[in-house]
Amino acid sequence: MSIPHWILLACFGAFVGASLFLCLQVAASARTIDPSKPKGNTWTGVAYSFTGAMSPLKKESARRHVPTYVLGLLFHGGVFVGFAWLVALFFDARAPLVLTRTSVPVLGLTGLCGAALLVKRIVKADLRRLSNPDDYFSNVLVVGFQMMTAVALVESRILPALFVYAGVLLLYVPLGKLRHAIYFPMARIYLGAFFGKRGVWGAKRRNQWEN
Amino acid sequence: MGKLKPLTDNQKRALALFAERMDGRLRTHLNSCVHCGLCDESCHYYLRYRDARYIPANKVEQIARIYRRYHTVLGRLLPRWVGAADLTDETVKEMVDVVFGGCSMCGRCALHCSVGVDIPFLVQTARSMLAELGMVPKGLQSTVDTALRTGNNMGIPREEFVDTLEWLEEDLRMEVQDETASIPLDAEGKRILYTLNPREPKFFPLSISAMAKIYHAAKEDWTISTRCYDVTNYAYFSGDGKAARELTQRLFDEVRRLRADTLVLAECGHGARAIRWEGPRWLEESYPYNVTTVIELVAEYVRSGRITLDPAKNTKRITLHDPCNLVRGGGVIEEQRFALRHACTDFVEMTPNREDNYCCGGGGGQLSMGEYRDRRVETGQIKAEQIRRTGAKVVATPCHNCIDQLMELNRVYDLGVEIKTVCEIVADALVLT
Repeated sequence: MSIPHWILLACFGAFVGASLFLCLQVAASARTIDPSKPKGNTWTGVAYSFTGAMSPLKKESARRHVPTYVLGLLFHGGVFVGFAWLVALFFDARAPLVLTRTSVPVLGLTGLCGAALLVKRIVKADLRRLSNPDDYFSNVLVVGFQMMTAVALVESRILPALFVYAGVLLLYVPLGKLRHAIYFPMARIYLGAFFGKRGVWGAKRRNQWEN
Repeated sequence: MGKLKPLTDNQKRALALFAERMDGRLRTHLNSCVHCGLCDESCHYYLRYRDARYIPANKVEQIARIYRRYHTVLGRLLPRWVGAADLTDETVKEMVDVVFGGCSMCGRCALHCSVGVDIPFLVQTARSMLAELGMVPKGLQSTVDTALRTGNNMGIPREEFVDTLEWLEEDLRMEVQDETASIPLDAEGKRILYTLNPREPKFFPLSISAMAKIYHAAKEDWTISTRCYDVTNYAYFSGDGKAARELTQRLFDEVRRLRADTLVLAECGHGARAIRWEGPRWLEESYPYNVTTVIELVAEYVRSGRITLDPAKNTKRITLHDPCNLVRGGGVIEEQRFALRHACTDFVEMTPNREDNYCCGGGGGQLSMGEYRDRRVETGQIKAEQIRRTGAKVVATPCHNCIDQLMELNRVYDLGVEIKTVCEIVADALVLT
């Protein structure tokens, strides 16, 4: 393995360790015991939280901002595509040519979606007010990762740079705004449990009181 | 660069309370907001003013920036980079204005947050810190103090309360033409112990009459305590955990003293939420008795045929305002609709409704915070427009807090509607046999 390989591996180890620490911090003080008597079902609420509640039909914030919602979906999808390729490139795995050729424009597009979100953050006064340097930096870091991965798929000479860059990205995830990636599933679980137990989400309540 | 500013003793106590509350749920929500701003239009404050201060993400930021400063690596080392802030007089001043004066904790934003941040929970935590700093707005603090001191938030003396109920009992007998009809006081071993919002005996005694009439028609075995009957818990809004627990404990002890099977919570959104859902957590134990809202009870009376309604007795068009804490925060969503559909001939929904409803503007303790009166009435414009669009002549709502706000909106926005509780409408439709 080359030095960039080792750097990426070390950064990945640090990322896993830090992420585990953050998750354990939550788990250790989860205080899941809620002595109130349920009206609905906690787990149905959690399931709904990850499914129906995320749909633009139900989520007004998505419905009212369809372009941003779509940009966000594509941008986040690009993160998964980028990391899948990073793993493949790290292990020098051979992928079908058609997959490589498709992934380049896909990552280019998802990166552009991220860049569009960055522009929106810069242009809109309300968003600027909400933002701090970390918000801009995190966006640039992830857009850069997707773009660099796209280039690395056609130009293998930049692979060492990609490995180092991805390492920096992984190191930064648990520190800054990107840590939402770690907390996101837990936030959905907590919110789903809250609304589920109270019978707001996931309950087939209308049938009960139809007539 | 990252040097922490010196703290006063009060600020240290507030931060200690914050650290003490730092469980998995709080930590998760504090770390989840991505400042996407998509929550903006889910907030009636933002819709009314289009001011970035009222974007729910900014409400999260009020406490998240303090969290980052004292609980994260980058917040300690590079506070400006991650938007972390010291707890200072300036940050506290802004926090008071935003979390007390710019939020009714209605929870609509949480439902629609891209990530799933429980924003009212964070606002409530921020309010707890402010309570520790002695920064709760005067009106709200005084409501809590009155409840603690006198046993009810209106400070009604027991004799006056008993007199009112005795007068209402006589009135009930005349209305139902039955000398045995009664409002039983402090009776032990009854099936139901009924609570009241103190605004009922003080300003809206007809709400009590309506419910007494329903209980009479249902031949219910019930009582009201004259010592501890207040369904409200404004300490939930002020963020004072100790006071919230104390008020809950008093009611808990009263249910046990009177050996009631079921505690029935009057038409009060936040009271229902505080007692039913938050209370067991404050007391750290399950209630050894049943707890239900009067809306669920009345809907069950209708469904089971225990009371009979004639919808022709209410022919005006009626719409329903969903109280945030009862609906989004408590899951009582369909029962009030079921009862109203059986109690009137022309029921129409507002848009949006149910868990997507807009706050009337009076929630979160806003009605007791005179400091923010103008904002409360101005943000109520969203609700006023919703009401106007329905063409309804009557607005029903199962919450006395909302009733007060809706009455003011009715006057200010010239809506020309009547404002009633759900039980008043049901009582008007009763067929007495």
